[in-house]
This record gives sequence, structure tokens and C-alpha cells, in this order.
Amino acid sequence: MAKIQLTVNGASHTREVEDRTLLVDLLRDHLGLTGTHIGCDTSQCGCCTVHVDGRAVKSCTMLAAQVNGATVVTIEGMASGDKLHPVQQAFTDCHALQCGFCTPGMIMATAALLKDNPQPTDEEIYHGLEGNLCRCTGYINIVKAVKQAAQTLK
Amino acid sequence: MSEKHAANRREDLRLITGRGRYSSDMNLPGQLHAAFLRSDHAHAEIVSIDTASALKRPGAVAVLTGDDALAAGYKHFPNLLTFTNKAGASLIKPQRPVLAHGRVRFVGETVAMVVAHSAAEARDALDAIEVEYRDLPVVVDAEEALQPGAPQLHANVPGNLNFEWDTGDAAAVEQAFKQAAHVTRLKVVSPRVIPNPMEPRAAVIGYDAAEDAYDIYTNSQGIVMLRWQFAALTGVAEDKLRFHLHDVGGSFGQRSAVYPEHGALMIAAKKLGRPVKWVSSRSEGFLSDSHGRGIVMAGELAIDKDGKFLAAKYQFVCDMGAYLTPTGTASHVRNPAICTTGVYKIPALYANFRVVMTNTAPVAAYRGAGRPDIAYVIERLVDQAAHELKIDRAELRRRNFIPLDAFPYKTPTMGVYEASDFNGCLTMALKAADYDGFPARRAAAAKRGKLRGIGLSTTIEGTAAGMFPKDQIAIEFNAEGQLEVFTVALSQGQGHETTFAQIVADTLGIDATDVTLRESVQGKKLEGNHTGGSRSLVGAGSICKVAAQKLIEQARPLAAEALELEPSQVEYAKGLFTSRDGSKSIGLLDLAKKHAGANPHPLNLMAEGSVAATFPNGCHIAEVEIDPETGVSKIAAYTACDDCGTVINHAIVEGQIHGGVAMGAGQVFGEQVMYDKASGQLLSGSFSDYAMPRAGWVGGINMNDHPVISKINVLGAKGVGESGCTASLSSLVTAALDALRPLGIHHVDMPLTPPRVWQQIQRAKQLQQTKAK
Repeated sequence: MAKIQLTVNGASHTREVEDRTLLVDLLRDHLGLTGTHIGCDTSQCGCCTVHVDGRAVKSCTMLAAQVNGATVVTIEGMASGDKLHPVQQAFTDCHALQCGFCTPGMIMATAALLKDNPQPTDEEIYHGLEGNLCRCTGYINIVKAVKQAAQTLK
Repeated sequence: MSEKHAANRREDLRLITGRGRYSSDMNLPGQLHAAFLRSDHAHAEIVSIDTASALKRPGAVAVLTGDDALAAGYKHFPNLLTFTNKAGASLIKPQRPVLAHGRVRFVGETVAMVVAHSAAEARDALDAIEVEYRDLPVVVDAEEALQPGAPQLHANVPGNLNFEWDTGDAAAVEQAFKQAAHVTRLKVVSPRVIPNPMEPRAAVIGYDAAEDAYDIYTNSQGIVMLRWQFAALTGVAEDKLRFHLHDVGGSFGQRSAVYPEHGALMIAAKKLGRPVKWVSSRSEGFLSDSHGRGIVMAGELAIDKDGKFLAAKYQFVCDMGAYLTPTGTASHVRNPAICTTGVYKIPALYANFRVVMTNTAPVAAYRGAGRPDIAYVIERLVDQAAHELKIDRAELRRRNFIPLDAFPYKTPTMGVYEASDFNGCLTMALKAADYDGFPARRAAAAKRGKLRGIGLSTTIEGTAAGMFPKDQIAIEFNAEGQLEVFTVALSQGQGHETTFAQIVADTLGIDATDVTLRESVQGKKLEGNHTGGSRSLVGAGSICKVAAQKLIEQARPLAAEALELEPSQVEYAKGLFTSRDGSKSIGLLDLAKKHAGANPHPLNLMAEGSVAATFPNGCHIAEVEIDPETGVSKIAAYTACDDCGTVINHAIVEGQIHGGVAMGAGQVFGEQVMYDKASGQLLSGSFSDYAMPRAGWVGGINMNDHPVISKINVLGAKGVGESGCTASLSSLVTAALDALRPLGIHHVDMPLTPPRVWQQIQRAKQLQQTKAK
């Protein structure tokens, strides 16, 4: 068993978990943060993307033990009260989601992408979202949302 | 009806803040967890299964096998295809115990189920189950399965040919072919694909011994359809099956059917007296989710000297996999039969369908469900004919379109088309795509070393006519007097909460935020169709309008009473009942609030109607650039002109077209399920082996709208969920083909992966060099 202390969405948590527990399972099963989704078991779909110490991470690729002492932000921590994060706002404004299952990961990946590259070109957006799969939208409105968010965050 | 362009759907807020509730988020008190042992043999006898060691593993509670499935009698899956062929024969429904018994027939088939205290413990214990298999010969290709001497999957399906059905007039077709000045022939493949909605399958099922009832939480396309199938599989009465449905992470046809895992979870929940939860991994999904398409299609088109189509005939070999799913055969046989004439006046038609069993995962509906396939073979034939006859592709289509004055048009096979303007759509699309300017773009691409081609499709499809004869909508006012609308449809991303509320609100002249939609609610006694086949807006959505109109009339006497007038003296507009002289008024919602708490609320009502199939159609024009050095194809431009009748919400309709086109692009350029021929092992079992469309595959779509208002429903709408998929297969493939024809390449099959295209280019170059010598 591993004892983990971490900060998630501003709140401190301590949990004792099986050594093999993945970060995504810690978030979903132990902390009840089910906004982070699991869409595959090969680290390819990006549905489980969260921020660990400010960087986008597929939370199925990390053990919970690896985030001991880290600061994690999940989709539940993106809005400030009633005010949506600009990326969240852009996704709803641009109809960049349909079923919504990939959306939390897509929003987290986008927020990190824009932090690294505030004004990405189309090609840079395609590249930046290569690790996030969406089956509903054809990505067209997702790309639109990334651009809107980039404008808002400028 | 207003046309709303803004997005900001009602459902968005919870989904973008992580508050959506999907199946894997559901937990019941005291639940156990299940994991499935899946066959790693494509075709084998099960000699023995030893579960003793698995039961001793930490946390293991029970192990179930095929014996448990047979004891429960869970082995008969229902099927939507009920008609017989001309010889009077029906579909054969091979038995499929929910856990395999005696024999396995595809890699991924459920063999045993472990139930344990945690999901990890259940998965661990799977490794301790010992199964001895005796291998049998394997066949994974449908055409090979039909050959004499092919391995036989089911004793009651001789030659693996489950069902053969034909439609049309074979004699008239043969006669027309004899008179033809030209015949174009093609054999094309619609490769097997995996729907892969982003949410994996999952279920939590509990058993209530006191009521002898089951509580079922799972991903679904609608309560009525699923309940019917669960009852058919298990023999449990429908009123003992309580469904608790919620957000669904995409479906695309994959969730319309009941699955073996559902039945196994029910057996375990009853046996153990505790709820049992199962969440599929994606790897399991690749193996065992229903697959889609998988059709080999031969087509022939007879043409007279003036370029008029005389007749067409088709042969479909449909790979159904190892067992029949409830929806697969109807998808592959009934749906394409409705539109064998495409958008063209073809006087004589004949189509033959063979439903074949192979050692592969079962096939079911997948976005379009047979409609994209028939449209694809027709459009490939027309494209090829235009090339062979040296007639412009738009011009050949114009000569053969069903003319405006021919509607309603009864096709020689099964369809009756409602009014459409095919030439209008084509003309608008050609203009929007700057068809005439294409040679300059091709020349510019050539300077960059790229092969650029343009392709067009003019397609039509019959949306679902509805399995259940009526769609019903209830309007009810809750304890606070707020308006709620109930339907048995269930959005899996289609945005019903937004559009259905908008329909009701627009009809009543009130704000959409004053209307709340409740979908597939347990205990509501409503009939209607599930969400599939592009049906919900035209079916349930239309009845939303009817219900709202009914509400005004039902409220009128109460409003009159409140205003101390006669009902005939009260007028309704924009949410207000007003006296003729305008001196007195009361709002509909205020009236409802006045009666809040009354049981039942006097304004509660139910509306119903039967809504037939609609026929959305359109013209899509694609431009594809191919790099001859690498074989990589890119969509350089894409124009869509669609007739989906009245548009209720533009943002949502555009989203549906985007998604459909991207799915088509996936099938055209990358997606293909591959099985090893010798072993029957799945080779495309993860997102690294299976090419899902990525961001940028479809850079953008030039969207155009050429509506002909439907007379089939009160909205005037035509279903749009599948149009993008139906139109894009042929527009994209013929664009690529147009790029390749100058090299002497006149046929390519999907998927046009870089290696496949590159090899074709190399072969063509060699051939040219040989000729030059």
C-alpha cells in the first residue's frame, strides 16, 4: 500500500491506496472526481487528461504514488465559482462537444496547449490534440474552440 | 420555426464541468465487480473449464460459465429482421449463450465471468481460470465462408449462409441489360469498422428479490428498445426490468443492442443478491463491441446510348460475424434495399443480399447502417460510368436525377421518396465548391508535386421508419409547476435537451429555459422509438410540437376561468392567454404554477403520433490531394450541401454533418478491422493498430443548406444524424480516384491507407514503364 498526499483542485487529500493504483483511479474511485474519464487502456485516447504541477498528463499513465506531493487540477477545478474557464466557455460557445465524454480531457489538453503556445496555428492545434480522440465532432468545432479560447486568453 | 444558430446547448454546462453522469460513474451500495474471460481462440471446442483456482484468488466471490448461462436459459437474442425471402425462408438465429457453452466462435467471446470485491481482483482471478480448447478450422472472410469446404460455424447454418434475400425484378433487369449501350461493373468493399464511441461499455445491475426485479444502469440508445431486447433475451417480464439511464458517451449504433455481458450480470446479481458492476476496457471493446459495415458489394449499371440509366443490379455479401446481433441484419439487408435507386430514375432494379457467418465479432448497426454502403456502390458506379463514357460527372447525374415532378417517387424496390431537389442541391454545391475552377487547383497542386482530385456524391437515405408504431411525448408540471417534457428517446450526444426544449418553447412562445426535457425515465408509461436511424427529431421531436399545441388547448378553459371569461374569448400568443380586448391576461406558466401541487396537474398531457421515414439527401464535393512519394492523402477541400428539411438548430445540425463526414473520412482513409486469416486473431485491437480520425483529418467543411420541407412530419424536418457518413464515403473515394486516374488507377478500395495508395502508384508506374518499353 502507498500513502499519498496531494492537492487536487486546491484541496489537500491523504489516501492510502494499493501500489498499482493509477492516478485516474485515485481521482475517480478514491476522490469521487468522475469528471476525468477513461476511454482506453493503452494511453491513447486522452479522455483522462489532467494537469499535474501545471502540465497536461494522461492520468492513466501515472501511478498514484508518483503524484505524492503534487498539485493536480481536474476538469472539476477549471471553473472559478460560476465563471467558466475560457476554454470551457469556448467549448460550449463553439459546439465543440456532443456526447461530452472526451470533453474533459480535450479541455484539459487545450488549456495546457495554450499555456505552452498561446497563439497556435491550425497545424499546431492538430499536433497538440493528436493524443486526444473525439468520435462525435470531427474535431472541426474543437479546433474552432481552441482558437476562440486563444483569443480570450490573449 | 425559428432557426437558432447559437450553440451553448442545455446539456453543455454539466458536461464541460465534469458533472456528466456516465455508466462507469454509477455505483450501487454493496456492489461487486465483474470481469470477463474472453476466448483467445477464434473457433474451438471448449473441452473443459476449471474455475476452482480462480475462486481461491483474493477477493473472488463467484465464477460463472456457460453452464450458468444455459441454466438461466439466456441464449436467444432477438432480431429486428422479421421478413422472409421469396422461398419463404426466415433468418436463422443461432443460439448464443451469454457465456459460451461447448464452443467458441470468435476471439473475444465471453467464456466465463469472475465476480469479486474489486474490479482489479476480478481481473486478477481471470488468469487462474483454466480452459482447455480443441481448435477448429477458422474462416474470417465472408466470401471464403461461402466456399464449399469452408469451416462451418453453426450446425443449423449450412454453408455459413444464414439468409439470402432479394428484391426487385430480376427478369426486367436482365432484359434492360440486353438493351444497354454500355454496362459499368464494379466490385467494392465497405470494410468492417469498429464504432468506438469514446465511452466504453459499462453496466451496473442489481436484483431486488422482494420485487423479483432488476435495476439496470447501462449505456443505451433508449429505454423502450433496450427493455424489449432484455426481456426477449432473458424472459424476464418488461415491468421487472427497471432502467436507470443517464448520459451516454456516443453510440453510433453500437449501443442499440443488448449484449451477452448484460445477461451474465443479471444472472450474477440474482445469484449473489448484490449489485454487480462491469466496465469494459477499450481492448475488450475492440474484441467484443459490435462491429459495423463489412460488406462486399458487386454492382452493375446498364446505360443507354444517351447516358440514361436503364437498370442496376447489386450483390451484397454481408459479414455478420459469429452470431447475429439484434440490429445487424436489418442494417445490412433492409436499409440498403430501401435506396437501391439512389437519387436516380432507374427503371429496373434487382438486389441480392447474402447474410454470412464468420469467426469474427458480431456486426450490428453503425452510423448509417447499410445506407452509406448502398450509396457508396451506386455513386462509385456513376463515377465509373461517367469516366468510361467520358461524360462530366455532374452532367451524367443531371441526366438521371429523379425529376422534381416525380415525387412522391415509388422506387422499384422498397422506398417511397418524399419531395427532394437533387439538381438544386447539386447546383448549389458545384457553385459553392467552385467546381469549374478545379482544373486550376489541380494544376497548382501538380506544381507542388501533389495529385489533386475532385469527387462528388449525390446521395439519399431513408431514415428509420420506427420499430414501434407510435412516438409519445408527455408534458407534465412538477410540484413547483415547472414544465417538463418526457420522451423515451435518449441522446448520446445529439443534444435533445436543447432541440426538444426549443421545439416546445417555440411552439408555446416561451423561453426555452422554462422547458426541461427528461429522457428515457424509468416508470414513465410511454411508447416510442429509441434514438437511432436519424429518427429522434423527426419522430419524438415532431410530437413535442404536437404536445405543445395540445397544451395550449388544454390550458385555454383554465385560463378563461382564471380570467373570468369564456374559452372562446381567450387568445393565446407568446406564452400569454389574453382577453380579446387585451385588458386581461395570464401567462401559461403562471397558470401552471397556480395549479402546482394538484395531483394530477390539470395541464398534464400525452401526445402521440406515427411518423414515417424521411429522406434527407444532398450533394457533397471533396477535393483530395495525394502525395505520390508517400501515398498520404489529405482532404484539401470539402463542401456539403444538404437537404435535411427544416433546421431546428443550425449549430447541432452542422455538428452532426461534421461528425458524419469525419466518420466517413475515418473509413475512407484509415479505419479497418483486420483479422489474421489463419488464426482469426484480431490484429487491429487498439487505438495504435486502428486508425481513428484525428484532429485535422477534416480541416473544415463549407456548409450549405438546400431544404425541401418534409411533409411527413409537422416540423418539416428530415433526419440528419447519418447524412454526413452516407455522403462522404463516395465523395472522398471518388476524389482520390480522380487524383489517381491520370496514372491509370481506376479502382481503389477503402481504406486508402498510405501504403495501399503508394503500392498502387508504384504498380501503375511500373506498368507505364513496361508499356513505354
